[in-house]
Amino acid sequence: MSQEQSMGLRELLAKAELLKQGAEARLYRTRFLGKPVIVKERFPKRYRHPVLDEKLTHRRTVQELRAILRCRKAGIPAPVVYFVDYSSHCIFLEEIEDSCTVRDYIVSTHQQNEAQQLERLAERIGQILARMHDEDLIHGDLTTSNMLLKHTGGAERQLLLIDFGLSYISALPEDKGVDLYVLEKAFLSTHPNTEVLFERLLQSYTKASKKSEPVIKKLDEVRLRGRKRSMVG
Amino acid sequence: MHLTQELELHPGQRVTQMLFIDVKNAAELRKSAVEGKFNGALINPKMLVSPFQVLVAATKALHLQNIGKMKTRSLFSEIIFNLSPTNNISEAFKRFGISDGDGSVLVVLVHNQDDPPSLSDIIRQVDGQQAPVDDVSSLSDTAKIKKFFKITPQEEKIGTLLDAVVCRMAIKDVL
Repeated sequence: MSQEQSMGLRELLAKAELLKQGAEARLYRTRFLGKPVIVKERFPKRYRHPVLDEKLTHRRTVQELRAILRCRKAGIPAPVVYFVDYSSHCIFLEEIEDSCTVRDYIVSTHQQNEAQQLERLAERIGQILARMHDEDLIHGDLTTSNMLLKHTGGAERQLLLIDFGLSYISALPEDKGVDLYVLEKAFLSTHPNTEVLFERLLQSYTKASKKSEPVIKKLDEVRLRGRKRSMVG
Repeated sequence: MHLTQELELHPGQRVTQMLFIDVKNAAELRKSAVEGKFNGALINPKMLVSPFQVLVAATKALHLQNIGKMKTRSLFSEIIFNLSPTNNISEAFKRFGISDGDGSVLVVLVHNQDDPPSLSDIIRQVDGQQAPVDDVSSLSDTAKIKKFFKITPQEEKIGTLLDAVVCRMAIKDVL
């Protein structure tokens, strides 16, 4: 079951820089075999029953790994996985250098009033999500903090998706619709007055995806279902 | 010529790689390895993209050895197995290990930092010319690698071949 971390890993993490401590995992920054990496450690949750905790943590780790590979195979940029320690649920991922989250980008660009840049970004996000959903991959936690923009020296920055812990495979338009709904809620609450921008995103999604019609239909249905919504039909 | 590197996850351990070309005694070396008499892993460099993936394979092999979960019988065979994108052990040996007619060989040694290996010993055993380890990338049969690893054209646009290869090496256990 949940085993002691090996000495090497413990030492490595002790010396590493702790970037973030979330409810689910800790992110460390360090070097691994000459490359800058992020180590995502899904630590044991003591408030859970140990057997359940192990099963759930393992499942989340596995789902994340499968989703990353599925994305990359479909041409969707996601960090490369270098190594996985299944006994302590640590994933060693490529550190995406020279990047910022889409969240931070929107916040700063919004302030500068660069509407065109934001529209282009919304278009690109719609396209990348369309490609992901066409692969029947549900992200599960779409937020602008889970999207990165990386400087590559090219004309446009590279748009990457990260944090696939809640992802799964599904062809159902309902699941894809919910995926978009989660993003909509996160988007509108994090970035006030961006309804038009999000609409742009959806338009781009519709154009880029081959199976978008039923998905958007479900999205509309889910919107009616949400909190503080009247179900009087 | 040779390349010795540390492994962060295994402090005190070192991995040394040595590349040989114009090798005449691949069959003899292979037999020696099969009999457990060769103190290193013998890898077919044409299936490699970079020395980096050997380090990744070695880190994983040592890790699994430490927790007693290797899939093969020895550390060296585990390193070879880890280079493959599939979980089929004999296929891994066939593709990434050396064959009798091979003209190039990559030797991988694992040792303690206080116990450096006898490189001259290895040089004596291999009937071939030593070449800089970084030359491995010029020996790569990229077409074969792309085919065996099932690299998609879309994937090639978003990263290097090495990225695609290493990713599969890391994730294959759960595929």
